[in-house]
Amino acid sequence: MIRSEHSIVQYDFQRMVVRPDRLHRSTDADYLPAAKQMLRIYRDGIGSARQALHGRIESCLNRLSGCPPRRIAAFCKLLDDQSEYHSDRKAVLQLRRQVFDFAADRHPIVEHREGIFDNEIQQVRSELAAALGRPWPEIEADLFRDVLELQRLEKFDSSLTPAQLLAAYNVAQTQAALYRATRVRIDASEDFKTIIRHAKLAGLMHRIDLVSSAKHPRYRFIFDGPQTVLRQSTRYGIRFAALAAKLLALKGWHLTAEVLGPRKQRFRMDLSPADGLTSTLNAPDAFDSSLEAEVDAAWQKAPIEGWIWQRESQLLVRGQSVMTPDFSLYNQQRNLLVYVEVIGFWTPEYLEEKSRRLKEFATLLPTGSRPVETPRWLLIVAKQQEADLQQRFADLQLPIIGFDKKTKPKSWIDAIDG
Amino acid sequence: MEEDSPRPHVDFHQGTVRLFGLSRRFVEKALADIPLAWDERDDCFRTDAMHADAIRQGLEHSLAGRLDWQVGRDAGAAEFRPLAINDLRQVTLRGDQEQAVKAFETGGRRGLVVMPTGTGKTVVAIELMIRYRCSTLVVVPVRDLMYQWHAKILEATGIDAGLIGDGVHRVSPISVTTYDSAAIHMPRIGDRFQMIIFDEVHHLAGPWRSDAARMSIAAIRLGLTATLPGDDQRTERLHHLVGPTLYRQSIAEASGKSLADYSVHRIAVRLTDDEQQRYRDYSLQIQTFVYQQRQIDPKFKWDDTYALSAATKQEPDRARDAVIAMRAFRLKRQIEEHADAKLRMLEDLFRLHCDESIIVFTGSNVMARKISTRFLVPCLLSHCGKKERREWLAGFAEGRYRVLVANRVLDEGVDLPEVKTAIVLGGLSSQRQAIQRLGRVLRKGAGGRRARLYEVVVEDTREVTRSRDRRRNEAYRPTR
Repeated sequence: MIRSEHSIVQYDFQRMVVRPDRLHRSTDADYLPAAKQMLRIYRDGIGSARQALHGRIESCLNRLSGCPPRRIAAFCKLLDDQSEYHSDRKAVLQLRRQVFDFAADRHPIVEHREGIFDNEIQQVRSELAAALGRPWPEIEADLFRDVLELQRLEKFDSSLTPAQLLAAYNVAQTQAALYRATRVRIDASEDFKTIIRHAKLAGLMHRIDLVSSAKHPRYRFIFDGPQTVLRQSTRYGIRFAALAAKLLALKGWHLTAEVLGPRKQRFRMDLSPADGLTSTLNAPDAFDSSLEAEVDAAWQKAPIEGWIWQRESQLLVRGQSVMTPDFSLYNQQRNLLVYVEVIGFWTPEYLEEKSRRLKEFATLLPTGSRPVETPRWLLIVAKQQEADLQQRFADLQLPIIGFDKKTKPKSWIDAIDG
Repeated sequence: MEEDSPRPHVDFHQGTVRLFGLSRRFVEKALADIPLAWDERDDCFRTDAMHADAIRQGLEHSLAGRLDWQVGRDAGAAEFRPLAINDLRQVTLRGDQEQAVKAFETGGRRGLVVMPTGTGKTVVAIELMIRYRCSTLVVVPVRDLMYQWHAKILEATGIDAGLIGDGVHRVSPISVTTYDSAAIHMPRIGDRFQMIIFDEVHHLAGPWRSDAARMSIAAIRLGLTATLPGDDQRTERLHHLVGPTLYRQSIAEASGKSLADYSVHRIAVRLTDDEQQRYRDYSLQIQTFVYQQRQIDPKFKWDDTYALSAATKQEPDRARDAVIAMRAFRLKRQIEEHADAKLRMLEDLFRLHCDESIIVFTGSNVMARKISTRFLVPCLLSHCGKKERREWLAGFAEGRYRVLVANRVLDEGVDLPEVKTAIVLGGLSSQRQAIQRLGRVLRKGAGGRRARLYEVVVEDTREVTRSRDRRRNEAYRPTR
């Protein structure tokens, strides 16, 4: 990620919209060869000081018309993030110690010998070089080698292509625009569980509303932090930025952020897959466990007429806790919704946590008021675990089905009705 | 309160305080002065943690015995235990320090103590820590100060205080942290301290760092500074976050009593012909740019240049010109800052005070390193590790190194051995920086000899204006 001082945004004061800087293939075609050159500067720059590399990047980008300093600084930061710099603090401190101790008795070191001051600079440097067994230019070059801008590039193994570097820049600028965000709203039709998981990992608070039917659920997430009810705070901006990067790997979402602009005016920022930003993350795994995959395959092979089978399509919200049942079954004719939870692992900790979560959520009504019967539950477990888990989860009083490859989905419906 | 309503409880949540099970009517009546907001996400009232003590007092009376108070791990009223703090100090408080302590005690244990650098603000704070014997967090602006406070607490009480910052996260009932670390970690540690001390409290006024005060439940709040912020709004914010100004001592009052007497000498140096030519060229570039921009937009100011430089899509030509003008500005500043004559003048001053310890303050890290390399003297910059800083400071205190060069790192509060001569090269025009820098040379040592501050500026440049701005402050008045 880049720093906030590298952020370039454009404020549209008429529509009160903020747009982060973005390089486009059509209008910014010059940047592709420049990106190639920038990567070469770093690949060929092993042993160069950071400030020298930054100087070369600046020269490279200054050749392009109107490249602002922030954009140059942002590219330097992105390239530095892919780099390893050498900083042998101990050795450099030892050198400084030797140099300053050597010179301590020779203060003041003067340009030209005069009167009582006879420690002439050239003379002192020669003596110092002799004492340390190194020429003065080398001592001078190494004296502050541990200072950030003077550290030398040791490794640049980045596999980024020029196009990927430009894509990373676009993502980084979008994230940086969110540093000034006070709240984000995400409307999503897929990947709810992943969105919630990343928001939780980012330490955000949520409000969740169902905004469409059980047949095609669509949720509205509002993410912010504890302070948000007290004041407009950009404290959580970096968390929104982290969340946005994760969203890029998902489908079916639209993010709207409230961003504080000049004079604390509120601007809107929109982001969705249509922006074409690319993620460095992989799309989320299709299933949490192999049992879950097998259960899904079994349904797809022999679906029951009248029932709609959906994966992770329902959110159960209890304050700041959220549960996403693995599957849902919906029967429109009967107006009946069934949460299907697959218990795919059997470590004691996992089972204990699962039991606690089911107790917390099994009696909860779905998010949003929907004219459905009280939802029912169905737990699916591996056949060989069935007896054990029937006993362990007995107090939940929920139907439990043992699953193996011969199990037909018809038996699941029977269990629900039974 | 309704008889059948759930038992009310209050807890600490990420730098805020949540109140559960209380009706709006009750809250409006019992906690009228506290800015509480209803939070539908958690079905509770919420406010900043800094109001915890006022809430407890407000609810104690009306809900006695029925309130479940879950605020504070080490600091909560229910768990309050006096800490065992030994008093190992060898010092006796001076009159002005006694007055400051008394003003804080009688002022409700919340407020600001304003005393010039070198008058022993730390002594006042440690006296209060020992008196109150409660969990305490000291918040300081820079890492050096964090270690310095740690050493002073150890010396005064024998307590190895916790450290939060500089890669260390060791939280103890007595801890020291930096403003930035406090703002980051307060959502998790804000309920652990009953007392909070803000050293160089003017740093608190920014919006991000304010969280260090807002998110703490500490009822006892002490802010220490040599100078209150220049503008009323920022001072007002400090009063809100910490408390009113309870004690104030000016430099003029302290000078000659707790501080050494001092004089300020401004020395003007000239650019070389080559430097002057380049300086003029860059100035002309900038003037031409501003003139052209005002033809396009009569309201254009130089301050708008940075924003304009980023408008590459909307106004590519103007943005390009802005980038060029900014580069000229940067180079112009570099000529001022790195003028050859400054190094020559430094050499003269080092000759003049060859038997004294001298601190040189520079306007940039680059210049500090340049001086260090030219005169082979240690420089304290932000890159220095803890060990290295200590080493240079110790060597300087012993007189092994006659000169110490520093950029901003020594501006505030970092204790130095007796220094009677300081030289300022370049730097910013802010009055606070000027006072803090002056404070470094004003420490009263044995003999109480008159201290000198030299200010080296380049003639016919912006440095002269900046110097004039600095000298508007009372600390600079006795200029010769």
